[in-house]
Amino acid sequence: MGQSIDDKEITRELWQSRLPICFILSDEDMSKVNRSELPEPLYLMLARHSYFPCIIEKIHRYYSTYFKENVNETTNNINLANLWLEFESIPLKWHYPIGVLYDLYASSVSSTSHLPWQITVHLSKFPEGEILRFPDKESIEAHYMSTIKEADALKHKGQIIGDMQKRDHKQLWNSLLQDKYDGFWNINNKLMNYTDNLQYFRYIPFRVYIVDKPFIQKLFSPYDIDQDKFMTLNDLLDFVLHHEAQCELLANEKKILNTNVDDYQVIIHGIQPPINTPIQWLSEHFSYPDNFLHICLIEKRT
Amino acid sequence: MSTVEGDENESLGNASNSAVTNEETSSNTTRSGPLNDSEGGAKVVFLLKAAGGAPILKKKKWALPRSKTMGHIVEFLKKYMQLDSQQQQQLFLYVNQSFAPALDTTIGSVNDCFSSEGTLVLHYSLTQAWG
Repeated sequence: MGQSIDDKEITRELWQSRLPICFILSDEDMSKVNRSELPEPLYLMLARHSYFPCIIEKIHRYYSTYFKENVNETTNNINLANLWLEFESIPLKWHYPIGVLYDLYASSVSSTSHLPWQITVHLSKFPEGEILRFPDKESIEAHYMSTIKEADALKHKGQIIGDMQKRDHKQLWNSLLQDKYDGFWNINNKLMNYTDNLQYFRYIPFRVYIVDKPFIQKLFSPYDIDQDKFMTLNDLLDFVLHHEAQCELLANEKKILNTNVDDYQVIIHGIQPPINTPIQWLSEHFSYPDNFLHICLIEKRT
Repeated sequence: MSTVEGDENESLGNASNSAVTNEETSSNTTRSGPLNDSEGGAKVVFLLKAAGGAPILKKKKWALPRSKTMGHIVEFLKKYMQLDSQQQQQLFLYVNQSFAPALDTTIGSVNDCFSSEGTLVLHYSLTQAWG
């Protein structure tokens, strides 16, 4: 794929995109505040490509001031491990990038939400089994690096990430945490190279999200050798929906997903890219810092 | 895993997972292949291999419905291997001997992407063998 200066500017714009979020304490936890003044909503501008656990300490510190620590009364203590975030009754998975969660749950036409994105903070009644507890910083970093390795396994059989020094791996994560675009792309550019005499990635790292379903991930080459042409976003989604529907049929699912791409809004980074965009180009420019294309499909309401 | 089936003698040719067709090798396939529906349930067959000094299982070949998650396998292994509470803290599942998918990833999607010549191999470890 030819690189132009404009293409690189796109990666910089995506890096800088933010979401205004308003955190509100749940009614249940609000009733346990033992101060005369109740917590005001907490407003934060967060990077779409970041993860909630990266700012969990900020949230924890903010609400800690409203709960008196009492060694004999454990119910009033904030236990960070019990903290969870919720939007319209949906517990939010901490290991999904913030932008993906917004695109999937808050951007649909039928949603009554508007910006800032209003998220409820819970300090109790952790929904065991629905989500994992917020982990420590090392766990998020491990999850991020694992995702990068998986992406490279798909793109390059793991050759490029395997040849990189540990300090390069560290630079990817630290640049993400510290919001350093240049520091990040100095290393990430290597992951966008081609190997094996190909002019494209072996397979595209992508995940397709549809509400109430686990994400869908499949093998898909960005180039069709027989037809001698590059595959588009439409080609990928068409294949993914039909293959997944076949899986559901074989598993005797009661409800089979809609396989018509036109019936969905296709959202990446909060926008709807033209459906005929080459998927190789999207992988190089629209991937999240974890090197995956996170594609949200929102069913259009007729 | 209550839905486990398949004995040591079951030939891999009957496995219902396939990222490749019988005619192609994994290096030539351009996308996840058609599903072999002879099993009628679209189960994923996978091999569990020990790494990082973890105990070796007598039964290595297992089968699960596509929708089961990696977390389901981890929880099952913790009980099956009768790990003590100290060991139970950490059990890691690796794909490609390089990465550990998030625990809510389905075995179906891991299989669609990383099975090789009809088999999915997962390594389990009590240490972070591959980071």
